[in-house]
Amino acid sequence: MARDDSMYWNPIMETLPREKLQQLQIRKFKRIFEWAYNNSPFYRNLYKAAGIEPGDIKTYEDIKKVPKTDKGMLRDVQSRPPFPYGDMLAVPLNQVTEFRQTSGTTGTPVYQADTWQDWDWWAECWAYILYAQGYRDTDRFFVPFGYNIFVAFWAAHYAAEKLGCEVVPGGVLDTEARVMKMQELKCTAFGATPTYVLGMADTARKIGIDPRSIGIQKITCAGEPGASIPTTKKRIEDAWGAKVYDHIGATEIGAWSYMCLAQKGLHVNEGMFLVEIEDTETGEIIDTPMKNGKMVITAFDRIGKPCIRFDSKDVIRWADYDCECGRTFRIIDGGVVGRADDITKVKGVLLAPTAIEEVVRSFSELSDEYEVVVTKKGDIDDIMLKIEIRPGFESQQPDILNRLKDQLRVKTNLGYKIEVHPYESLPRYALKAKRFKDLRGDH
Amino acid sequence: MATEYKVSEMAAKIAEIRKLADELDSMCGGIQAVKKNIVRLLSSTKMLELNVSDIKDFV
Repeated sequence: MARDDSMYWNPIMETLPREKLQQLQIRKFKRIFEWAYNNSPFYRNLYKAAGIEPGDIKTYEDIKKVPKTDKGMLRDVQSRPPFPYGDMLAVPLNQVTEFRQTSGTTGTPVYQADTWQDWDWWAECWAYILYAQGYRDTDRFFVPFGYNIFVAFWAAHYAAEKLGCEVVPGGVLDTEARVMKMQELKCTAFGATPTYVLGMADTARKIGIDPRSIGIQKITCAGEPGASIPTTKKRIEDAWGAKVYDHIGATEIGAWSYMCLAQKGLHVNEGMFLVEIEDTETGEIIDTPMKNGKMVITAFDRIGKPCIRFDSKDVIRWADYDCECGRTFRIIDGGVVGRADDITKVKGVLLAPTAIEEVVRSFSELSDEYEVVVTKKGDIDDIMLKIEIRPGFESQQPDILNRLKDQLRVKTNLGYKIEVHPYESLPRYALKAKRFKDLRGDH
Repeated sequence: MATEYKVSEMAAKIAEIRKLADELDSMCGGIQAVKKNIVRLLSSTKMLELNVSDIKDFV
Protein backbone atom coordinates (compact mmCIF):
# COMPACT_ATOMS: atom_id res chain seq x y z
CA MET A 1 0.00 0.00 0.00
CA ALA A 2 1.27 3.47 -0.85
CA ARG A 3 2.49 5.51 2.08
CA ASP A 4 0.55 8.68 2.65
CA ASP A 5 3.30 11.23 3.22
CA SER A 6 0.78 13.97 4.03
CA MET A 7 0.42 12.51 7.53
CA TYR A 8 3.98 13.42 8.50
CA TRP A 9 5.40 16.83 9.39
CA ASN A 10 8.65 15.64 7.84
CA PRO A 11 8.21 12.40 5.87
CA ILE A 12 11.94 12.15 5.19
CA MET A 13 13.00 12.35 8.82
CA GLU A 14 10.11 10.42 10.36
CA THR A 15 10.46 7.41 8.08
CA LEU A 16 14.24 7.26 7.84
CA PRO A 17 15.37 3.61 8.00
CA ARG A 18 16.63 2.74 11.48
CA GLU A 19 20.26 2.23 10.49
CA LYS A 20 20.32 5.63 8.76
CA LEU A 21 18.61 7.23 11.73
CA GLN A 22 21.27 5.81 14.02
CA GLN A 23 24.05 7.22 11.81
CA LEU A 24 22.33 10.60 11.90
CA GLN A 25 22.07 10.43 15.69
CA ILE A 26 25.77 9.72 16.16
CA ARG A 27 26.68 12.59 13.84
CA LYS A 28 24.33 14.97 15.65
CA PHE A 29 25.51 13.86 19.09
CA LYS A 30 29.08 14.56 18.06
CA ARG A 31 28.06 18.01 16.81
CA ILE A 32 26.34 19.11 20.06
CA PHE A 33 29.13 17.56 22.14
CA GLU A 34 31.69 19.58 20.19
CA TRP A 35 29.55 22.73 20.51
CA ALA A 36 29.29 22.34 24.28
CA TYR A 37 32.98 21.47 24.64
CA ASN A 38 34.02 24.58 22.76
CA ASN A 39 31.48 27.04 24.17
CA SER A 40 30.35 26.01 27.66
CA PRO A 41 32.93 26.18 30.50
CA PHE A 42 30.84 23.75 32.56
CA TYR A 43 30.74 21.09 29.84
CA ARG A 44 34.38 21.58 28.87
CA ASN A 45 35.49 21.04 32.48
CA LEU A 46 33.18 18.03 32.84
CA TYR A 47 34.52 16.37 29.71
CA LYS A 48 38.16 17.26 30.32
CA ALA A 49 37.88 15.71 33.78
CA ALA A 50 36.55 12.55 32.14
CA GLY A 51 39.27 12.62 29.48
CA ILE A 52 36.84 12.78 26.57
CA GLU A 53 37.20 15.03 23.55
CA PRO A 54 34.94 15.56 20.51
CA GLY A 55 37.14 13.34 18.34
CA ASP A 56 36.45 10.41 20.66
CA ILE A 57 32.77 10.18 19.72
CA LYS A 58 32.37 7.69 16.87
CA THR A 59 29.82 5.10 18.03
CA TYR A 60 26.97 4.60 20.49
CA GLU A 61 29.46 2.86 22.75
CA ASP A 62 31.50 6.08 22.83
CA ILE A 63 28.38 8.07 23.73
CA LYS A 64 27.82 5.82 26.75
CA LYS A 65 31.18 6.97 28.13
CA VAL A 66 30.15 10.64 28.11
CA PRO A 67 29.43 11.84 31.66
CA LYS A 68 25.79 12.39 32.50
CA THR A 69 24.33 15.58 33.86
CA ASP A 70 21.47 15.92 36.31
CA LYS A 71 19.22 18.50 37.86
CA GLY A 72 21.55 19.00 40.82
CA MET A 73 24.31 20.07 38.42
CA LEU A 74 21.90 22.42 36.65
CA ARG A 75 21.15 24.05 39.99
CA ASP A 76 24.80 24.18 41.10
CA VAL A 77 26.01 26.02 37.99
CA GLN A 78 23.55 28.81 38.76
CA SER A 79 25.79 29.98 41.61
CA ARG A 80 28.43 30.90 39.03
CA PRO A 81 28.36 33.67 36.39
CA PRO A 82 26.80 34.62 34.11
CA PHE A 83 23.76 35.41 36.23
CA PRO A 84 21.26 33.75 36.47
CA TYR A 85 22.14 30.73 34.33
CA GLY A 86 25.73 29.92 35.27
CA ASP A 87 28.56 28.59 33.17
CA MET A 88 26.61 25.85 31.47
CA LEU A 89 25.58 28.62 29.10
CA ALA A 90 27.19 28.17 25.68
CA VAL A 91 26.35 31.51 24.09
CA PRO A 92 27.00 35.13 25.10
CA LEU A 93 24.28 36.38 27.43
CA ASN A 94 23.11 38.94 24.87
CA GLN A 95 22.05 36.10 22.57
CA VAL A 96 19.58 34.78 25.14
CA THR A 97 16.09 35.89 24.19
CA GLU A 98 13.94 33.56 26.29
CA PHE A 99 13.78 32.89 30.02
CA ARG A 100 11.80 30.03 31.48
CA GLN A 101 12.21 28.08 34.69
CA THR A 102 11.23 24.72 36.09
CA SER A 103 8.40 24.59 38.59
CA GLY A 104 10.78 23.70 41.41
CA THR A 105 8.57 20.89 42.68
CA THR A 106 11.69 18.91 43.56
CA GLY A 107 13.84 21.79 44.81
CA THR A 108 15.29 25.11 43.67
CA PRO A 109 14.02 26.06 40.20
CA VAL A 110 16.34 25.63 37.25
CA TYR A 111 16.58 28.71 35.05
CA GLN A 112 16.51 27.92 31.37
CA ALA A 113 18.13 30.13 28.75
CA ASP A 114 17.18 29.88 25.10
CA THR A 115 18.37 31.80 22.07
CA TRP A 116 15.92 32.75 19.35
CA GLN A 117 17.16 29.75 17.37
CA ASP A 118 16.42 27.53 20.38
CA TRP A 119 12.96 29.01 20.61
CA ASP A 120 12.40 28.28 16.93
CA TRP A 121 13.62 24.75 17.65
CA TRP A 122 11.13 24.36 20.52
CA ALA A 123 8.34 25.27 18.12
CA GLU A 124 9.77 22.92 15.50
CA CYS A 125 9.74 20.00 17.92
CA TRP A 126 6.16 20.84 18.88
CA ALA A 127 5.24 21.06 15.19
CA TYR A 128 6.16 17.37 14.87
CA ILE A 129 3.83 16.67 17.79
CA LEU A 130 0.81 18.66 16.67
CA TYR A 131 1.01 17.58 13.03
CA ALA A 132 1.23 13.91 14.06
CA GLN A 133 -1.90 14.41 16.15
CA GLY A 134 -3.86 15.72 13.19
CA TYR A 135 -3.58 19.47 13.70
CA ARG A 136 -3.87 21.35 10.41
CA ASP A 137 -4.34 24.93 9.21
CA THR A 138 -8.10 24.50 9.51
CA ASP A 139 -7.92 24.09 13.30
CA ARG A 140 -8.80 26.75 15.83
CA PHE A 141 -6.54 25.92 18.77
CA PHE A 142 -7.35 27.22 22.22
CA VAL A 143 -4.54 27.54 24.76
CA PRO A 144 -5.98 27.64 28.29
CA PHE A 145 -2.68 28.40 29.97
CA GLY A 146 -1.38 31.33 32.01
CA TYR A 147 1.51 32.32 29.68
CA ASN A 148 4.07 32.79 32.41
CA ILE A 149 7.58 31.76 33.47
CA PHE A 150 6.82 28.07 32.93
CA VAL A 151 7.33 26.71 29.43
CA ALA A 152 4.12 24.59 29.54
CA PHE A 153 2.20 25.36 26.33
CA TRP A 154 4.24 28.34 25.10
CA ALA A 155 5.94 26.35 22.38
CA ALA A 156 2.67 24.64 21.45
CA HIS A 157 1.31 28.11 20.73
CA TYR A 158 4.22 28.95 18.41
CA ALA A 159 4.12 25.53 16.76
CA ALA A 160 0.40 25.79 16.08
CA GLU A 161 1.05 29.15 14.39
CA LYS A 162 3.79 27.49 12.35
CA LEU A 163 1.30 24.86 11.19
CA GLY A 164 -1.09 27.62 10.22
CA CYS A 165 -3.66 26.96 12.93
CA GLU A 166 -5.64 29.87 14.28
CA VAL A 167 -4.39 30.20 17.85
CA VAL A 168 -6.58 31.60 20.62
CA PRO A 169 -4.57 32.49 23.75
CA GLY A 170 -6.59 31.66 26.88
CA GLY A 171 -4.20 33.66 29.09
CA VAL A 172 -5.64 35.28 32.19
CA LEU A 173 -9.21 34.08 31.68
CA ASP A 174 -10.60 31.93 34.47
CA THR A 175 -11.76 28.39 33.73
CA GLU A 176 -15.38 29.37 33.24
CA ALA A 177 -14.46 32.14 30.79
CA ARG A 178 -12.14 29.79 28.94
CA VAL A 179 -14.88 27.21 28.45
CA MET A 180 -17.29 29.88 27.28
CA LYS A 181 -14.71 31.32 24.86
CA MET A 182 -14.04 27.87 23.39
CA GLN A 183 -17.78 27.43 22.87
CA GLU A 184 -18.24 30.93 21.45
CA LEU A 185 -15.40 30.51 18.94
CA LYS A 186 -16.20 26.88 18.08
CA CYS A 187 -12.62 25.86 18.85
CA THR A 188 -11.60 22.48 17.45
CA ALA A 189 -8.70 21.65 19.74
CA PHE A 190 -6.96 22.62 22.94
CA GLY A 191 -4.07 21.55 25.13
CA ALA A 192 -3.61 21.36 28.91
CA THR A 193 -2.61 19.02 31.71
CA PRO A 194 -4.96 16.02 32.09
CA THR A 195 -6.00 17.31 35.50
CA TYR A 196 -6.99 20.68 34.09
CA VAL A 197 -8.76 19.14 31.08
CA LEU A 198 -10.96 17.17 33.49
CA GLY A 199 -11.47 20.25 35.64
CA MET A 200 -12.58 22.24 32.60
CA ALA A 201 -15.19 19.58 31.80
CA ASP A 202 -16.52 19.81 35.36
CA THR A 203 -16.69 23.60 35.13
CA ALA A 204 -18.47 23.40 31.78
CA ARG A 205 -21.17 21.14 33.22
CA LYS A 206 -21.62 23.45 36.21
CA ILE A 207 -22.41 26.38 33.95
CA GLY A 208 -24.78 24.30 31.88
CA ILE A 209 -22.50 23.51 28.96
CA ASP A 210 -22.07 19.91 27.86
CA PRO A 211 -18.35 19.71 27.01
CA ARG A 212 -19.20 17.27 24.22
CA SER A 213 -21.35 19.91 22.54
CA ILE A 214 -18.49 22.39 22.06
CA GLY A 215 -17.07 20.53 19.08
CA ILE A 216 -13.55 19.86 20.37
CA GLN A 217 -12.04 17.14 18.17
CA LYS A 218 -8.63 16.69 19.76
CA ILE A 219 -6.89 17.49 23.01
CA THR A 220 -3.13 17.45 23.53
CA CYS A 221 -2.08 16.72 27.08
CA ALA A 222 1.24 17.40 28.74
CA GLY A 223 2.79 17.94 32.15
CA GLU A 224 1.42 14.79 33.81
CA PRO A 225 1.26 11.12 32.79
CA GLY A 226 -2.58 10.99 32.72
CA ALA A 227 -3.12 10.88 28.96
CA SER A 228 -1.06 7.69 28.82
CA ILE A 229 -2.99 6.09 31.68
CA PRO A 230 -5.83 4.29 29.87
CA THR A 231 -8.51 4.95 32.50
CA THR A 232 -7.70 8.67 32.73
CA LYS A 233 -7.49 9.00 28.95
CA LYS A 234 -10.88 7.32 28.55
CA ARG A 235 -12.38 9.60 31.21
CA ILE A 236 -11.16 12.67 29.30
CA GLU A 237 -12.27 11.35 25.90
CA ASP A 238 -15.72 10.50 27.27
CA ALA A 239 -16.06 13.91 28.90
CA TRP A 240 -15.17 15.88 25.77
CA GLY A 241 -16.13 13.52 22.96
CA ALA A 242 -12.66 14.13 21.56
CA LYS A 243 -9.46 12.20 20.88
CA VAL A 244 -6.79 12.67 23.54
CA TYR A 245 -3.11 12.61 22.70
CA ASP A 246 -0.18 12.59 25.08
CA HIS A 247 3.08 14.42 24.71
CA ILE A 248 6.12 14.51 26.99
CA GLY A 249 8.62 17.32 27.32
CA ALA A 250 10.50 19.24 29.95
CA THR A 251 11.84 22.75 30.40
CA GLU A 252 15.48 21.70 30.53
CA ILE A 253 15.13 19.12 27.71
CA GLY A 254 12.56 20.12 25.10
CA ALA A 255 9.49 18.48 23.57
CA TRP A 256 10.85 15.02 22.92
CA SER A 257 7.97 12.61 22.33
CA TYR A 258 4.47 12.38 20.98
CA MET A 259 1.50 10.13 20.56
CA CYS A 260 0.35 9.96 16.93
CA LEU A 261 -3.14 9.35 15.53
CA ALA A 262 -2.80 5.62 16.28
CA GLN A 263 -2.68 6.47 20.02
CA LYS A 264 -0.31 3.59 20.75
CA GLY A 265 2.49 4.67 23.04
CA LEU A 266 4.62 7.72 22.30
CA HIS A 267 7.14 8.11 19.52
CA VAL A 268 10.49 9.55 20.55
CA ASN A 269 11.51 12.27 18.10
CA GLU A 270 14.80 10.56 17.35
CA GLY A 271 15.77 13.11 14.73
CA MET A 272 15.99 15.74 17.45
CA PHE A 273 16.77 13.70 20.58
CA LEU A 274 18.77 10.70 21.70
CA VAL A 275 16.90 8.77 24.37
CA GLU A 276 18.79 6.14 26.33
CA ILE A 277 17.13 4.02 29.01
CA GLU A 278 19.40 3.12 31.88
CA ASP A 279 18.97 0.23 34.27
CA THR A 280 18.72 1.90 37.67
CA GLU A 281 20.64 -0.89 39.37
CA THR A 282 23.36 -1.87 36.90
CA GLY A 283 23.70 1.40 34.99
CA GLU A 284 23.59 -0.57 31.72
CA ILE A 285 21.70 0.87 28.75
CA ILE A 286 18.50 -1.10 28.16
CA ASP A 287 17.42 -2.02 24.64
CA THR A 288 15.07 -4.80 25.73
CA PRO A 289 11.40 -3.82 25.30
CA MET A 290 9.07 -3.48 28.30
CA LYS A 291 11.91 -3.22 30.81
CA ASN A 292 11.71 -0.11 32.96
CA GLY A 293 14.69 2.17 33.41
CA LYS A 294 15.42 5.83 33.82
CA MET A 295 15.78 8.11 30.86
CA VAL A 296 19.05 9.73 29.89
CA ILE A 297 18.40 12.21 27.12
CA THR A 298 20.28 14.47 24.73
CA ALA A 299 18.78 17.34 22.76
CA PHE A 300 20.86 17.46 19.59
CA ASP A 301 20.13 21.01 18.54
CA ARG A 302 19.64 23.15 21.64
CA ILE A 303 22.60 25.50 21.74
CA GLY A 304 22.01 28.17 24.42
CA LYS A 305 22.11 25.83 27.38
CA PRO A 306 22.83 22.41 25.93
CA CYS A 307 21.15 19.31 27.31
CA ILE A 308 23.57 16.41 26.92
CA ARG A 309 23.07 13.01 28.52
CA PHE A 310 20.71 14.51 31.07
CA ASP A 311 19.57 12.04 33.72
CA SER A 312 15.92 13.06 33.88
CA LYS A 313 14.89 10.49 36.53
CA ASP A 314 11.83 9.76 34.37
CA VAL A 315 11.08 6.05 34.31
CA ILE A 316 10.19 4.81 30.83
CA ARG A 317 10.35 1.59 28.78
CA TRP A 318 10.67 0.77 25.10
CA ALA A 319 7.50 -0.72 23.61
CA ASP A 320 7.39 -4.28 22.33
CA TYR A 321 5.10 -3.27 19.46
CA ASP A 322 5.35 -1.16 16.33
CA CYS A 323 3.01 1.58 15.25
CA GLU A 324 0.98 1.32 12.05
CA CYS A 325 1.66 5.00 11.29
CA GLY A 326 4.88 4.14 9.46
CA ARG A 327 7.20 6.28 11.56
CA THR A 328 10.50 4.62 12.28
CA PHE A 329 10.96 6.55 15.53
CA ARG A 330 10.95 4.13 18.47
CA ILE A 331 7.97 4.03 20.80
CA ILE A 332 7.90 4.22 24.56
CA ASP A 333 5.09 2.25 26.15
CA GLY A 334 2.73 3.99 28.54
CA GLY A 335 4.52 7.35 28.57
CA VAL A 336 6.47 8.23 31.68
CA VAL A 337 5.47 5.44 34.03
CA GLY A 338 7.03 7.10 37.05
CA ARG A 339 10.01 9.00 38.31
CA ALA A 340 13.03 7.28 39.75
CA ASP A 341 12.68 9.55 42.77
CA ASP A 342 8.87 9.04 42.97
CA ILE A 343 8.85 5.28 42.92
CA THR A 344 9.09 4.57 46.57
CA LYS A 345 8.90 1.65 48.93
CA VAL A 346 5.79 1.53 51.06
CA LYS A 347 5.56 -1.37 53.51
CA GLY A 348 8.48 -2.86 51.60
CA VAL A 349 6.62 -2.82 48.28
CA LEU A 350 7.75 -0.68 45.31
CA LEU A 351 4.95 1.72 44.50
CA ALA A 352 4.53 3.97 41.44
CA PRO A 353 1.85 6.63 42.10
CA THR A 354 0.56 6.24 38.52
CA ALA A 355 -0.70 2.75 39.43
CA ILE A 356 -3.04 4.29 42.02
CA GLU A 357 -4.32 6.80 39.46
CA GLU A 358 -5.07 4.00 37.01
CA VAL A 359 -7.28 2.29 39.60
CA VAL A 360 -9.04 5.39 40.93
CA ARG A 361 -9.86 6.69 37.46
CA SER A 362 -11.38 3.34 36.49
CA PHE A 363 -14.25 3.99 38.95
CA SER A 364 -16.84 6.16 37.26
CA GLU A 365 -18.54 6.63 40.66
CA LEU A 366 -15.50 8.61 41.88
CA SER A 367 -14.67 12.21 41.05
CA ASP A 368 -11.54 13.10 39.08
CA GLU A 369 -9.63 14.11 42.21
CA TYR A 370 -7.91 12.00 44.81
CA GLU A 371 -4.94 12.27 47.14
CA VAL A 372 -2.52 9.73 48.56
CA VAL A 373 -0.77 10.35 51.88
CA VAL A 374 1.97 8.08 53.19
CA THR A 375 2.93 8.41 56.85
CA LYS A 376 4.90 6.36 59.32
CA LYS A 377 3.57 5.23 62.69
CA GLY A 378 6.48 3.84 64.65
CA ASP A 379 8.18 1.52 62.20
CA ILE A 380 5.03 0.87 60.18
CA ASP A 381 4.18 2.68 56.94
CA ASP A 382 0.61 3.81 56.60
CA ILE A 383 -0.97 4.66 53.26
CA MET A 384 -4.18 6.65 53.04
CA LEU A 385 -6.20 7.26 49.87
CA LYS A 386 -8.57 10.23 49.96
CA ILE A 387 -11.37 10.13 47.43
CA GLU A 388 -14.62 11.88 46.55
CA ILE A 389 -17.79 10.06 45.53
CA ARG A 390 -19.81 11.68 42.78
CA PRO A 391 -23.29 12.96 43.67
CA GLY A 392 -25.89 10.23 43.17
CA PHE A 393 -23.57 7.37 44.15
CA GLU A 394 -23.34 8.05 47.91
CA SER A 395 -25.65 5.15 48.79
CA GLN A 396 -23.26 2.76 47.06
CA GLN A 397 -20.32 3.81 49.22
CA PRO A 398 -19.70 0.48 51.03
CA ASP A 399 -19.69 -1.45 47.75
CA ILE A 400 -17.49 1.14 46.04
CA LEU A 401 -14.95 1.05 48.87
CA ASN A 402 -14.79 -2.73 48.89
CA ARG A 403 -14.20 -2.91 45.15
CA LEU A 404 -11.68 -0.06 45.30
CA LYS A 405 -9.67 -1.77 48.05
CA ASP A 406 -9.67 -5.02 46.07
CA GLN A 407 -8.47 -3.34 42.87
CA LEU A 408 -5.77 -1.39 44.69
CA ARG A 409 -4.48 -4.56 46.30
CA VAL A 410 -4.41 -6.36 42.95
CA LYS A 411 -2.67 -3.50 41.10
CA THR A 412 -0.24 -2.29 43.78
CA ASN A 413 0.09 -5.18 46.27
CA LEU A 414 -0.76 -2.83 49.12
CA GLY A 415 -3.62 -2.37 51.56
CA TYR A 416 -4.98 1.18 51.91
CA LYS A 417 -7.00 3.15 54.38
CA ILE A 418 -9.62 5.01 52.44
CA GLU A 419 -11.09 8.33 53.48
CA VAL A 420 -14.17 9.66 51.70
CA HIS A 421 -14.26 13.44 51.40
CA PRO A 422 -17.19 15.62 50.36
CA TYR A 423 -17.51 16.08 46.61
CA GLU A 424 -15.23 18.89 45.34
CA SER A 425 -13.42 19.35 48.67
CA LEU A 426 -10.02 17.95 47.64
CA PRO A 427 -7.55 20.40 46.02
CA ARG A 428 -7.96 21.17 42.30
CA TYR A 429 -4.93 21.94 40.13
CA ALA A 430 -4.45 24.06 37.00
CA LEU A 431 -0.91 22.91 36.24
CA LYS A 432 0.95 19.94 37.68
CA ALA A 433 -1.08 18.15 40.33
CA LYS A 434 0.50 17.12 43.63
CA ARG A 435 -1.61 14.18 44.67
CA PHE A 436 1.06 11.94 46.20
CA LYS A 437 2.28 13.15 49.59
CA ASP A 438 4.98 11.17 51.32
CA LEU A 439 5.18 12.55 54.87
CA ARG A 440 7.55 9.93 56.25
CA GLY A 441 10.58 12.23 56.15
CA ASP A 442 13.85 10.34 55.82
CA HIS A 443 12.55 6.80 55.45
CA MET B 1 6.03 3.69 -2.98
CA ALA B 2 6.95 6.81 -1.08
CA THR B 3 7.51 10.09 -2.87
CA GLU B 4 11.06 10.70 -4.07
CA TYR B 5 12.31 13.94 -2.57
CA LYS B 6 15.05 16.11 -4.03
CA VAL B 7 16.91 16.24 -0.75
CA SER B 8 20.35 17.20 -2.09
CA GLU B 9 18.91 19.91 -4.31
CA MET B 10 16.89 21.30 -1.41
CA ALA B 11 19.96 21.24 0.83
CA ALA B 12 21.91 23.19 -1.80
CA LYS B 13 19.20 25.87 -1.91
CA ILE B 14 19.18 26.08 1.89
CA ALA B 15 22.95 26.59 1.85
CA GLU B 16 22.43 29.45 -0.61
CA ILE B 17 19.89 31.04 1.73
CA ARG B 18 22.39 30.90 4.58
CA LYS B 19 25.13 32.34 2.40
CA LEU B 20 22.87 35.19 1.25
CA ALA B 21 21.77 35.93 4.82
CA ASP B 22 25.40 36.03 5.99
CA GLU B 23 26.29 38.37 3.13
CA LEU B 24 23.36 40.61 3.97
CA ASP B 25 24.49 40.65 7.59
CA SER B 26 28.01 41.68 6.68
CA MET B 27 26.86 44.50 4.39
CA CYS B 28 24.05 45.93 6.58
CA GLY B 29 26.30 48.42 8.35
CA GLY B 30 24.81 47.58 11.71
CA ILE B 31 21.26 48.62 10.82
CA GLN B 32 19.35 46.91 13.62
CA ALA B 33 16.22 46.55 11.50
CA VAL B 34 18.25 44.38 9.17
CA LYS B 35 20.57 42.68 11.64
CA LYS B 36 17.89 41.50 14.07
CA ASN B 37 15.65 40.24 11.29
CA ILE B 38 18.59 38.28 9.91
CA VAL B 39 18.85 36.53 13.31
CA ARG B 40 15.31 35.32 12.74
CA LEU B 41 15.96 34.45 9.12
CA LEU B 42 18.99 32.39 10.13
CA SER B 43 16.98 30.64 12.85
CA SER B 44 14.39 29.62 10.28
CA THR B 45 17.22 28.57 7.97
CA LYS B 46 18.58 26.40 10.76
CA MET B 47 15.21 24.66 11.05
CA LEU B 48 15.38 23.91 7.32
CA GLU B 49 18.88 22.52 7.83
CA LEU B 50 17.68 20.27 10.67
CA ASN B 51 14.83 18.98 8.55
CA VAL B 52 16.63 18.61 5.23
CA SER B 53 20.37 19.36 5.05
CA ASP B 54 21.28 17.20 8.06
CA ILE B 55 19.62 14.20 6.44
CA LYS B 56 20.94 14.53 2.93
CA ASP B 57 23.82 12.10 3.49
CA PHE B 58 21.48 9.43 4.79
CA VAL B 59 18.83 9.19 2.08
